[in-house]
Amino acid sequence: MLKWGSRRAETPPVAPPATPGSTDAIVTTKVFSRFLAAVGHQPAPVLLDLGPVVGSNVSFFSERLGCKLHVEDLYSDIEDHARRGERAALAQFFATRLTESPDSIDGILCWDLFDFLERPAGLVLAAKLAAMLRKGGALYGSFGTTALELTHYTKAIVAAEDSLRLRTSPATPVARTVLLTRDIIKMFDGLIVAESVLLKSSTRETLFRRP
Amino acid sequence: MWKKDEAVKPGIPTDGPRVDAPRNSGSDMVNVGTGTIGKSVVIKGELSASEDLAIEGQVDGKVELPQNILTIGANGRIKASVFAKAVIVQGEVHGNITATEKIDIRDAGSVDGDLASPRVAIADGAHFRGSIDMQRGKAGETAGLALEATKPAEALKPAVPMTGAAPAGVATAAPGTAPAR
Repeated sequence: MLKWGSRRAETPPVAPPATPGSTDAIVTTKVFSRFLAAVGHQPAPVLLDLGPVVGSNVSFFSERLGCKLHVEDLYSDIEDHARRGERAALAQFFATRLTESPDSIDGILCWDLFDFLERPAGLVLAAKLAAMLRKGGALYGSFGTTALELTHYTKAIVAAEDSLRLRTSPATPVARTVLLTRDIIKMFDGLIVAESVLLKSSTRETLFRRP
Repeated sequence: MWKKDEAVKPGIPTDGPRVDAPRNSGSDMVNVGTGTIGKSVVIKGELSASEDLAIEGQVDGKVELPQNILTIGANGRIKASVFAKAVIVQGEVHGNITATEKIDIRDAGSVDGDLASPRVAIADGAHFRGSIDMQRGKAGETAGLALEATKPAEALKPAVPMTGAAPAGVATAAPGTAPAR
């Protein structure tokens, strides 16, 4: 005889979504639209997203830019290292992590990745990214300016050209790496700052271009 | 409960996809006439069909359904390049996926590989690592190339021709080899 619920008992419980869509914070972005404009100048541009894949972003970039999109979720790599207590090894890890060829990418989305990286790892990654950009390419990043403990990652979901929906997920706590503007510029050697805006949230949005 | 004479009625469409076993089936092969490649089925080599197919087992090699929908179920584990009209991923894929219409990665789906299709949907919670090419026409061009590479007679054959390294066949039932998820 059939036993109602017998299969359910075999199935491990599924955790509900960590953050329902209704709790997403919506923030205005000043620089992101400039990034889109810069990348949009290229025919069939190639985009590199260093955050977790977001379905709606994929659709957005495809429709807006008609681009090819590479997704390399470095946040998950950072979290893996953090859980093992090996943040210091990230510099060595990033030296070989990304396999994209130099001069092959038109646009890079860093989001707030560098807030989670110690300086040596940040330097290695920034050098790799700068080398990947094609001439005329653009790199978008945001950098926190206040020292605090980061306890969550933020996934940016493009709501419009001038606004992002931010969805959080838990992170192994780490002190934010606060970089001075001149340090950021030095880090991305070979790129120029096309736009830099300090938002009310004390986050500095920066658009780099490869001349 | 199930009458024997209702089991097979050629010409009558079935509700779900159906896969016939190869004609030269050996004793180690399994008839997967239910339309699903079951959990315990391991295929090494090339799998093609001209009807919709659901995979719950393991496929290593190549999967081609040029005119049909391929569903990789929650237990499905694919290490292959996949080409189909539409692909729905609920399981795990290591390899490139090309679809002429749409690729749909559901929330429990995981793909490590490159996607090429005019439409790509990735649910929240899905794992993806690779590149996505949604440039119009490109997947279709790839589709054309793939179709040219496949013999027309074979492409339309409502069976599952499989080629692989295993001399006695490539579709083997291996109880207990179902991938753990």
